[in-house]
Amino acid sequence: MEITMKKTTAYAFMAAISLMATTTLFTSCDKVSPTGVLIGNTSVDDRVKQSLANYAVFDMAWDKTLPDSIEEYSFIVGSDSHITYDPGRLSEMLEIGIEHGDLFYCHLGDLADTKAEYYENTALALYRATEDWWDKYLEPYINENFPADSIFIDKRTGDLYKQSDLLNMPTYLPFYPVVGNHDITHNGWALYCNLFRSSFYEFTVQMGNSEKYDRFIFLDSANGTLGQFQIEQLDNGILQRDKKEIRNTFVFTHTNIFRPSLNEFASTYCREELYYILDKLADWNTTIMFYGHVHAWDDRMFGGVRHITMPSMNFVDHPNGGDDLLVRITVMKDGSYKMEHIGLHCKERSKEELKELGYYTNTI
Amino acid sequence: MHHLQRLFLAVMLVFTASTAMAQYYSGDHTFDGTNKNEASASLTTGDNIITGHCVGNTIHYKHYFNDHWSVDGGANLQYTKQLYGFKAKGEYHLKIRSFHMFASAEYMFNHYHKYNTNENVGNASVRFERGYWDITLGGSFIGYNMMGDHYTEPITLTFGAHATLRPRTNKWNVGLLFRNYDDFYYENWNINWGLDLYYRIKPNMKLFGEFNVRPAGSMSQLASKYETTGKIGVIYRWK
Repeated sequence: MEITMKKTTAYAFMAAISLMATTTLFTSCDKVSPTGVLIGNTSVDDRVKQSLANYAVFDMAWDKTLPDSIEEYSFIVGSDSHITYDPGRLSEMLEIGIEHGDLFYCHLGDLADTKAEYYENTALALYRATEDWWDKYLEPYINENFPADSIFIDKRTGDLYKQSDLLNMPTYLPFYPVVGNHDITHNGWALYCNLFRSSFYEFTVQMGNSEKYDRFIFLDSANGTLGQFQIEQLDNGILQRDKKEIRNTFVFTHTNIFRPSLNEFASTYCREELYYILDKLADWNTTIMFYGHVHAWDDRMFGGVRHITMPSMNFVDHPNGGDDLLVRITVMKDGSYKMEHIGLHCKERSKEELKELGYYTNTI
Repeated sequence: MHHLQRLFLAVMLVFTASTAMAQYYSGDHTFDGTNKNEASASLTTGDNIITGHCVGNTIHYKHYFNDHWSVDGGANLQYTKQLYGFKAKGEYHLKIRSFHMFASAEYMFNHYHKYNTNENVGNASVRFERGYWDITLGGSFIGYNMMGDHYTEPITLTFGAHATLRPRTNKWNVGLLFRNYDDFYYENWNINWGLDLYYRIKPNMKLFGEFNVRPAGSMSQLASKYETTGKIGVIYRWK
């Protein structure tokens, strides 16, 4: 059966359907940049270049050496908080970490949906957690270890300090995120970078006088690829600045490789890159690779590496919270580790309550 | 998933609209009643973010038993990528009014030598075709072995849409394609896009070419550069 129609009718038909298609694509796409489906407007290469520049300019050397008396340390990992008006789940994660004494807190991306107001809310939650962390740990530490009437020298820079200088120094919460795809939509990298500076970095943890280090690597996979520049940097060993002897390597990135079930998106790394990453992780002798993105739990061994895909911690997926939305990894002095699940249970607050707490409750 | 459905619907609507005018079918890759054999060879070159500049060849042979049944096989040799593969496919063709339907089952093997990885792919697809366009829908099982381990990905959707400027009988043609596969790989959600073209030198021989953009990431991830390739080749048919 052939369809025949006049040219004008056909063109009108084409126009109508094209309009419908355009409308379908462009409506309610807060979380999606429709033009980015085929050609993205932000480049992972640019982000990584900027990250490395910031790494140098802002002296982002976060290596940590723990006192020899410490037998273990821990860190917690969460993912996909998708903060809008209420950053409650992120605050709860940080409260848990501060209360327990975790050494640092990692986030696997999609921290906030990309709007300036949402990032302001995120920044305020982080600022409040920083105050708590300061009160609980840093201020007592400075008061205990740096007497008020003494002068101290920074061994790295040679600068001299008094106790009051230390107490007035800017403080950075040990919160280490990776960038997610929703962090970069609608040019969100500018917002993200303003808060966190870098999407590609590493640090090490040394326990006491041990000559072996634990290495923490944070990779930018927000576009579903590491990109050519980041891959070149990894191949050139840019994150292995000093040739330390490594006992554990923990890697954090947003885009998953393994698919928890049919209900979740499959990996969006192209084939060679998928195999490149798995090969690179084995090459690094990686202990655990953490992923987010698909909002579902998955835990499997592949090629000698443990791959953990984290559930989301946001209010939309888990309005009543859950007992396994975070994990805590505790690393022992002998290099072994244990993992435990941690729950988040706070409920989303009303706009009135959030407004009183100083959060944005509307977009401007 | 919601956004993917939206996109797919939108793409389908655009193609339906763009092909609403008079259509007819010429069946360039169905049995023409005379020539039962078809072979092609092509050269591919381009740039990939992992392997850099890439060069390779593909060869392909197809045999038509009759108007309904055909089998084909092909091999892929990507020298700079150190990627080597072959595939075998069986296809059943059925004419339904003015539509042509092709149901196919395919097995593909790829060896990624750099990563000592073997990949096995099974695909079942249905293609609907008219004079100016075709769409493909199906599913793929992709499994790989590396470092002594094996993983088979849950089934992923195979989708493709292709529209041409001229009818298939024309001496030359240029087409626009969107799909998540190419001759020797099936991706998950990443949407390849590009142009293809041919010029018929003789009734049983034509030159063909393809420009293919294979981005990383899809949907909300904002597509990013992964691979760009150009392909040029020749197809020959004989009795």
